[in-house]
Amino acid sequence: MIQVLNLLLGGVFHAAALFLVAAGLQLVFGVQKILNLACGSFYALGAYAGISAVKAALAAGVPAPLFVLVLIVTGLALGVLGPPIERLLRTIYDRDEAFQLLLTFALVLMLEDVIRFVWGAAPAQLGNVYLLYGQVRLEGLRIPVYNFIVIAAGLAIAAGMGLLLTRSRFGGIVRATAENRSMAQALGVDMARISSRVFTLGLVLGTVGGALVIPAGAAVNEMAIELIVEAFAVVVIGGLGSMRGAFVGSLIVGVLKAVAIAVYPEAEMLAVYVIVIAVLLLRPAGLFARVTA
Amino acid sequence: MRTTRRQFLKAWGAAAVAGATLRLHAAPALAQAGPVKIGVLAAKAGVTAPVGESGLRGTQWAVERINAGGGILGRKVELVVEEESNPKDTVERFRKLVLQAKVDVVVGVISTGVGLAIGPAAEEEKRLLLMWDGTTQKGVEETMPKPRYAFRSVDNEAEAVMASILTARHFKGKIKTVAGINNDYSYGRDNWAAFLAIMKRFGLNVTPVAELWPKLGETNFTSHVAALQQAKPDLIFCSFWSGDAPILLKQAHAAGLTASTRLVMTTAGGVHEQLKKAFAPEGMILGYNSLYFEDPKASALSREFSRWHQEKFKEWPTYESDHGYFTVVGYKAAVEKAAKAAGGKWPTVEQVAEALEGIEVESLSGKRGYRADHIMEATYFQGLSTHKNKHDFVTLESVEAMSTKQIQKPSGMGLYDWIASWNV
Repeated sequence: MIQVLNLLLGGVFHAAALFLVAAGLQLVFGVQKILNLACGSFYALGAYAGISAVKAALAAGVPAPLFVLVLIVTGLALGVLGPPIERLLRTIYDRDEAFQLLLTFALVLMLEDVIRFVWGAAPAQLGNVYLLYGQVRLEGLRIPVYNFIVIAAGLAIAAGMGLLLTRSRFGGIVRATAENRSMAQALGVDMARISSRVFTLGLVLGTVGGALVIPAGAAVNEMAIELIVEAFAVVVIGGLGSMRGAFVGSLIVGVLKAVAIAVYPEAEMLAVYVIVIAVLLLRPAGLFARVTA
Repeated sequence: MRTTRRQFLKAWGAAAVAGATLRLHAAPALAQAGPVKIGVLAAKAGVTAPVGESGLRGTQWAVERINAGGGILGRKVELVVEEESNPKDTVERFRKLVLQAKVDVVVGVISTGVGLAIGPAAEEEKRLLLMWDGTTQKGVEETMPKPRYAFRSVDNEAEAVMASILTARHFKGKIKTVAGINNDYSYGRDNWAAFLAIMKRFGLNVTPVAELWPKLGETNFTSHVAALQQAKPDLIFCSFWSGDAPILLKQAHAAGLTASTRLVMTTAGGVHEQLKKAFAPEGMILGYNSLYFEDPKASALSREFSRWHQEKFKEWPTYESDHGYFTVVGYKAAVEKAAKAAGGKWPTVEQVAEALEGIEVESLSGKRGYRADHIMEATYFQGLSTHKNKHDFVTLESVEAMSTKQIQKPSGMGLYDWIASWNV
């Protein structure tokens, strides 16, 4: 029983990281109607910047247990990149989808090179902080408390996004713009400002996600592409533009992968795509597809 | 003054004759003063980027020293570097190096997929290709049965063979169950299969209780660690060679797996500075392929390179640097040998190819060379890991050095037939 729980926890941990990338993707698609392939790059940027920030903070004497805060602040601080990148993408909002994919893919490649230029080609990591908060011991199993922190952060952000979108004025405007852009514009919504803010929010979801997960792993140059592929599976399963879809989709992908690894490891890569194919065949718009104008 | 057609033609004619004369007179001098061009296909992006960088550093250092010593037969060496990416684009860049840049030899290549595509291209263009890596076995017999211009690196299973031999030596009688976690592509599959075959050959009778196949590039192993914990193996065999190695160790350590299970990491020495003491245990069999930076028996040359590398890049070198170094130095030695046989003239490509067969030179890891079948002979370094050092990452407690004559299958023999023929 405890083994099953351990397995599920591993899956949910992965799902939390995926959700943060996919949520950014969904948000940007919902409002700007562009598929931002660079969502994975923002995650990678958050990871690398998080490593540098924590190393600098620890060297400067910041008490070690505060490293989580350093990571979150770093992720948020990277939000300054939002407006300029959004400005760049604004040029293709009304263009053919092929242009959008090309431009955001170009961004992915450029950001990968920027990362390699700044941080080098070798993997980077935070060696010692993963176990700083200790481990939970359950019947011979040891689970780092940090894993629970990441899962909790994922849940908190999901809840926060939910509240933001349903209860706040900004959320109302975002949803209105997503549903019917021209009507929202006619009602006086400043498209430029909303686009900029939504994009920045989407970017920050990715960077904070990347920064938060990095103590448990390492940053490698090609991590962006790996995540984009999985985020896409999440988005296809959950439905394009839906936050609920990102949440449920990530859980499905994370848990399914964990189950496959435990039960039939040969199917590790295949398991997720079987679900993707099933969804495309049975409910092509995704599980929580939205109807947009 | 208007130029008439006649004057124009005269001027051009004079220029042409002058040019031809100049070229005729300059020809012998140019041939000697012109540089030797070595084309390099080095990976720059993606998972092989650190490996490509490592190889390129070894090549650059070799060229620096060769030029400081006067070059090859008096000709300076120039590097023309192109990127190794996917097979199709890399083959195009290979042709560009050979046909446009007119390089004398091409070195590089790490990915097996690229190697399989580029070997036949080298044969077609009749240009020497000295590959750094990328020699997982399947498909090689079909694409390059008897290469004339292409020279390959050590068989990629050599590290698994050596690690398996060390496993049998250190852990026989202590392990009953094994688990494998290897990347899901030819390298991972071949290494795991070789390990199991050798376990059997040595009579260890171990039962595989888990076989995991994460894709190359996976960065999260919490579920894999959970599956390994469920299987409870006595030993875990892992052929990770990139960023996934430290991630796996970190997550395995956090789950308590590294304390209770023996580990064999055949190639994690390639990212050795990432194997921090905080999570990498002592007593795991750790492989560094053909370069261990702190070998107590290292030559002066090797020590000089390690020092140079550490000073310049603030990190210690890894095995690909020796592949990079050897391919250049080996080429130089072959050119000199062939020139001598050809009476002092600059040798042809075919003459150099012949000279490369059976050659032996001093590299960063001791003696290295090529067999008659165009496959590298080198020395591999593995051992048990220790925390007793002045770094923040693990190193080897004692270094075991084995020649490829012991751990690489001989010419013309299949791997499994060779293992079956061992006297155990």
